[in-house]
Amino acid sequence: MSKEKESLFSAKNMKYLTGPFGANNPVIVQILGICSALAVTVQLKPAIVMALSVTAVTAFANLVMSLLRNGIPSRIRIIVQLVVIAALVILVDQVLKAFVYDVSKQLSVYVGLIITNCIVMGRVEAFALGNKPWPAFLDGLGNGLGYGLILVIVAFFRELFGSGSLFGIRLIPESWYIAEGGFYSNTGLMLFPPMALIIVGCIIWVHRTKNKDLQEK
Amino acid sequence: MAMNKNSNLYIVVYSTIMVVVVATLLAVAALSLQSRQQANMLGEKKQAILSSLGASTENYDEFVTSKVLNVEGAEVEGDALDLLFDLKGAFENGTYPIFEAKNGRVVIPVYGSGLWGPVWGYLALEPDMNTVVGIVLDHAGETPGLGAEIATPKHQAQYVGKTIFEGEELVAITLKKGGATEANIQHEVDAISGGTKTCDGVSAMLLNSLTNYLPYLKAHIASATECACEECAEETLSNVNME
Repeated sequence: MSKEKESLFSAKNMKYLTGPFGANNPVIVQILGICSALAVTVQLKPAIVMALSVTAVTAFANLVMSLLRNGIPSRIRIIVQLVVIAALVILVDQVLKAFVYDVSKQLSVYVGLIITNCIVMGRVEAFALGNKPWPAFLDGLGNGLGYGLILVIVAFFRELFGSGSLFGIRLIPESWYIAEGGFYSNTGLMLFPPMALIIVGCIIWVHRTKNKDLQEK
Repeated sequence: MAMNKNSNLYIVVYSTIMVVVVATLLAVAALSLQSRQQANMLGEKKQAILSSLGASTENYDEFVTSKVLNVEGAEVEGDALDLLFDLKGAFENGTYPIFEAKNGRVVIPVYGSGLWGPVWGYLALEPDMNTVVGIVLDHAGETPGLGAEIATPKHQAQYVGKTIFEGEELVAITLKKGGATEANIQHEVDAISGGTKTCDGVSAMLLNSLTNYLPYLKAHIASATECACEECAEETLSNVNME
């Protein structure tokens, strides 16, 4: 083991961080974490807080698991992963409740549901168990942010066309609405989960048109 | 050191240590943050009571007094704010917390079930015990954009000025699918499109919870209208003065 010491922000390390934004996005390429992408994207604000919480959990779950990776008995590694992830999520939940109570109220049950987010366990199992702590941390950070990026895009379209607002601030003028004698009405379908799936589908479509190597033959 | 990491002994020791470490960590975190969390929740409840009264700038401790009622509407020992932490249990035990503002208005906490979980709120009434001053509604996990809209100021503004009695009968306020009807406009507000189950839950919650307070409300209505005794007359007088 006489490997040259790599700099913390080498090109290879940065690729772990930025890869999940595009070519290796967990949501639109690996199709993970779809469940919560449907649930929390009706409005932008919960989507953003959810994205940040998931990023914190993926990053630290990867870091902890990578530190422990040489001691874990492989027969119970999934259980160990679950314990670490669940403990982190509970910690995040407790800290949110103590210091940013209103945000934690906004997220309600979804914080607890981070435990079941496929991305967290997927990255721990696929990456953290075989890599050093720093790359694992960056990988978790990147995947959390890559997931958050899709969440924000979906929430943007759903809130804008479903409620006519962004961050709860009305953007479509009142006078445009049919009720006020105008021509416009909100698209109720946008508020329902299937529409999130359709928007994710459209993002995948655009993404694969630009990244031809992802297209199936 | 050569150690078989898949031996039963190693696995048992490893998982035992892991569980103890994680449990200690979480217990320490939960206990050390508990007082902050409690303070946050208590502050939120006081704030909700004040904002239902439309008095968000007032100091809670100076402006509001609380008491606990029993089934007959008589005052009993107890900490009303404490009961708010488990309002469902309090109602089941026949203890009903109530909050009286300096200007004669009262705040009644309400509790019920929405679509996905509990819904609750604070309904403020004028001294006539009939007209709604304001309401604050909240929920544990209703669908954002649909049922969760009950917690928005836009929805809650509709309740102001509605009345909960039709003659002698308590009818509370109904969230009407398709919009409040002209015939019953005093007791209906618009339900939320796509949030019908939540709205039905809120309607049931208002009626059920207010029913618990019926003896208290009736007694105060009687004292406000008849002024049979001196004490009551004084009370009414002070209400008038506060207006």
